[in-house]
Amino acid sequence: MSLRLKLLLLGLATLILPWGGCQYAREMESALREGEQSSLQAVSQTIAASLQGRTDLLYREALAPPDAPEAPAVPVPPGADPVRAFLNPGPYDLKPLALTAAPLLDGYPDDWPHDPSAWAYFGKDDLHRFGILTGVYERMLYVLLEVRDEHPLFDAAGTNTLDPATFGDRVWLGFEDSGGEQHQVFLAATGPGSVTARRIETGEYGQQNAPIEPRIHGAWQLTGHGYRIELRVPMSMLGNGFGVLVDDRDARGVDPVSYGTLGSDDLHTLGRLIVAAPELASYLTQFMQPGLKLAVTTPSGRVLARADALAQVSGLGSDPPILARLYRRFVDRPGAQPLLESPAPIYDRDHRTLIGRLEVTQTATGWIRLRDHALMRMLNFTLSTSAVAVTAMFAFAAWLAVRLSRLRRASESALTRSGLVTSFPETDSRDELGDVARSFSTLLQRLNEYTSYLRTLAGKLAHEIRTPLTIVRSSLDNLESEQVPASARAYLTRARQGSERLSAILIAMGAATRVEEAIGSAERVGFDLVAVLESAVAAYRGAFPGRGFRAELPPGPLDLSGAPDLIVQMLDKLIDNAVDFSPPGALITVRLRVDPQVAAIEVENPGPPLPELLPGRLFESLWQSRTGTDSQPHFGLGLYIVRLIAEFHGGEASAANLADGSGVRVSVRIPR
Amino acid sequence: MKRLIAIVEDEPAIRDNYAAAFTREGYAVRTYSNRAQAISAFAARLPDLAIIDISLEEEPEGGFELCRRLRALSAELPIIFLTARDSELDAVSGLRLGADDFLTKDLSLPHLLARVNALFRRVDALRRPETPGEIMRRGPLTLDTERMQAQWDARVVLLSLTEFWIVHALARHPGHVRNRQQLMDAANVVLDDNTITSHVKRIRRKFQSVDPKFDAVQTVYGMGYRWVE
Repeated sequence: MSLRLKLLLLGLATLILPWGGCQYAREMESALREGEQSSLQAVSQTIAASLQGRTDLLYREALAPPDAPEAPAVPVPPGADPVRAFLNPGPYDLKPLALTAAPLLDGYPDDWPHDPSAWAYFGKDDLHRFGILTGVYERMLYVLLEVRDEHPLFDAAGTNTLDPATFGDRVWLGFEDSGGEQHQVFLAATGPGSVTARRIETGEYGQQNAPIEPRIHGAWQLTGHGYRIELRVPMSMLGNGFGVLVDDRDARGVDPVSYGTLGSDDLHTLGRLIVAAPELASYLTQFMQPGLKLAVTTPSGRVLARADALAQVSGLGSDPPILARLYRRFVDRPGAQPLLESPAPIYDRDHRTLIGRLEVTQTATGWIRLRDHALMRMLNFTLSTSAVAVTAMFAFAAWLAVRLSRLRRASESALTRSGLVTSFPETDSRDELGDVARSFSTLLQRLNEYTSYLRTLAGKLAHEIRTPLTIVRSSLDNLESEQVPASARAYLTRARQGSERLSAILIAMGAATRVEEAIGSAERVGFDLVAVLESAVAAYRGAFPGRGFRAELPPGPLDLSGAPDLIVQMLDKLIDNAVDFSPPGALITVRLRVDPQVAAIEVENPGPPLPELLPGRLFESLWQSRTGTDSQPHFGLGLYIVRLIAEFHGGEASAANLADGSGVRVSVRIPR
Repeated sequence: MKRLIAIVEDEPAIRDNYAAAFTREGYAVRTYSNRAQAISAFAARLPDLAIIDISLEEEPEGGFELCRRLRALSAELPIIFLTARDSELDAVSGLRLGADDFLTKDLSLPHLLARVNALFRRVDALRRPETPGEIMRRGPLTLDTERMQAQWDARVVLLSLTEFWIVHALARHPGHVRNRQQLMDAANVVLDDNTITSHVKRIRRKFQSVDPKFDAVQTVYGMGYRWVE
C-alpha cells in the first residue's frame, strides 16, 4: 500500500466526526422529544384540568334546557343523571362519531369513516337486523342505516302516504326535543334516491295528514342484502333521546315486523344520543396552535370533539432540501413516531369519576425541523472539515511521496554512478526527511571518499613503490658492471626479470590515473569512427595472432566529435578484455551499429559468462571478478577506463551475456 | 678533465647507485641531498650536467625551484629531472622550467647513461657551431643528430631529448608505422601508451607553434605513428 493511500485512509478516519455528529443529533432528537413530550403533557394536563367537572361542556345532554331554572327541583334518578348515563351507556344509546367532513347525502357509505367499532346493531334475528352509524358534523347529526332485508319493498307509487295498502318498508325516527317531548317521523320511498321524512299530524277535525319535515334530508339506496338510508338531522331538533324503528314488510299492506330502538307500542325513544356539547369544539379551538391536535373522547375512547391543526404546520408538506433528506436517512431511526401523543384523563368535580379523556397530539415537524437545521449545519461543517482534512492529507502524502521518490531517485543514481555526489535533494529540509537526506548524503560522501581513495590507491601505491624499485634496479645495473661469477649470473637475471615485472605492474597500476589525466587534457576533434575502428582491428590482427577478429562496420564514414586516441585506447581495453577471457583461436567480433542518435561499439567474445552482479559494477574501479587466462597483472581497471572514456564522450558502457550463453558482449553507446 | 655531474637526490641508495654508475663511466660526480646544499655548491662551481629529483627532503617541489635557479645561472647547462612522479602535469612543469629531459625513476642505468652521453654530445656540438654535424632532411624538417636540434622551415623547434628521439625515429623512414614500443626503444625510455601519446601530442604542438599547418606526424590507430612528407 502506498504512502498516499495510507494517508488517504487515515484522512477518511475523520469521517468519524460526522458519524459522531449523527449520533449526537439522535441524542439531541430524543432529548428534544422528551422535552416536547413533557411540555405536551403539561399542556394536556392543563387543558384537562380546565375541563374538570365540565360535563356540560363535554356532553350535550348535560346542557341545562333553556327553561332550566326549575330543573334542579325535578328529582333526577341516578340512572337519569346525564353524566352517569355516559358512564353507563344503555343498550340503545347511540354514540355519534365526531365527523371531520360532512358526508354527501347519496345513500352510499364511501365518505364515512371506516370504523367497524362505531357501528351499532339492532334487530330481532339474523334476517331482521340493521346496523346504524351516526356522526356529528357542525351541529348536524348524520345517520347511516344498513338494513338487512331479503325482500326490500318500496311504497307503492301512490298519492296517499297514509293509506296502509300502499305501505312498503318504512323506517321511523323517534326523538325527544330539548323540551323532553317525543316526536316521530317516518321515512318512506317509492324508489331509490333522495327520501323525505314525514310527520303524522292529527288535524283539528280528527283528520290525519303527513306533512314533510323539511329539516330532515336523506337518501335511500338498495344494497345486495337490503337497503341503506343516509340521513341528516339538525341537532337543534334533537334533545337527549333518539331511536330508529324499522318496519319490515314482505308485501304491501301486511303487518310489518318491527324492530329497533323505539318502543314498538308508543314509538318512544329507548336510547339516548351521547354527543358532545356544541361548545366543546370551539372551546378546544382556543387551545389550538399549528401542529397540534386536540381530541376529547368518552371514557371508553370514542371521540366527542376534536380540533385538528396538524396539517397547518407550514412547510410540513413541502419537501425538505435533498441534502437534508439524505442526512435524515442516516439519522432517522426506523419506525420513529413522527407524532407525539399525550393523553390526559378528565375527571368530574369529585376528582375520581372519569368523565372523558383528552388526547393531545403534536406533530414532530417542529423539532424535526429544528433537528434537521442543526444536523444540516453540523454535517455540513464536519463533512467539509473531513473533506479539507482528506484533501490536505492527500496533498501532504503526494508531496511526501514526491520528496521520497526524489530522494530515492537521487540515491539510486548516486549509487549506480558512484560519481562525486555534489548535491543531494531535501538536505535543506528541516524535518525528519531532511535528516534522512542529510545522513544519506553524509553516507554517500563517505562512500565517495572511500571509493576515490581506492581509486587513487593504485596510483599512490605505484608512486610509493617506484623509489624502492629504482633502488633495486639501479643496484642490479651496477652489479652488472662488477665481477659477478658466472654461477651468480642466473640469479642476477632472475632478479632483473622480477624487477621488470614489478615495473610492468606499476605502469598498469597507474594507468587509470593517467587516463584520467589524459581525459582532462583531451581535445575534441572530428574524426571518422569507421576508419579508426578499421585501422584498429587491422592492428589487433597483428597484435594477437592467437585470436581471430571480425569487423562488422557500416560502409560509410561515421563522423563523431571526440578524442580518437581515447577511443582507440578504450577499444584496446575492450580487446584486451575479450582476449583475456576467450580461449585461443576464438573469433572476436568488433561491431559498430549506428542509430540516428547513437553509435554503439560492440565487442563480442566467446568465453565464460559474466558473474551475476549489480549492473554497472563491472565498470567500477578495482573491480575484478573474472580470472584471466594469462599472467598479465589485472587490477580491474580496464573496464573502468572504458567507462571513463565512454563518459567523456557522453556515452555509457554496459556488458551482457550473449543470448545463447556462449560468450559476452560489451557495448559502448556514444551519442552522435 | 672529467666532466662533473651533480646528482640532487634525497634517497641515499639511489643517489649512491647513480654516483657509482657515473663514476664508473668516467665522470666526476657530486651528490647533494637537498636544495640548500646544492645551491651553495652550485654558487661556488657549476657542474657540467645536473640530475635533479623533484621532491627533496622537506620540499615536495624543491627540484622545480632548484631547476629555476640553475637555469638562471646558466642557459646551456643540461638539466635532467629524474623522479618517481610520472604525472603529465609534473612533466609539463619540469620541461617548461627549461629542463632538457623528464625521466621517471624506473629508467634503467644504461638508458640513463645513454641520455647523459647524448646530452653531452649536444653540448659539445653546440659549442662548435661552425662544424655541421650529421644532418637529416625530410622536406621542411632538418634534424641535426649531433646537436640534437630540429628545424622546420629553417626555424628551430625546441624539443626535449625524448621528443627529439621520437621525431628522429619517425622521420628516418617516412611512411613507415612506428609502434609505441619502437618509439620507446628509440627514445631509451620505458613509458606507457598514454605517455607516448602525450609526447606525440607535445611534439605536434611544438611544430604547430612554428607552422600552424604542420601535419607530418600521423596517428595510425591501434598501431602507432608515421611520418608523412
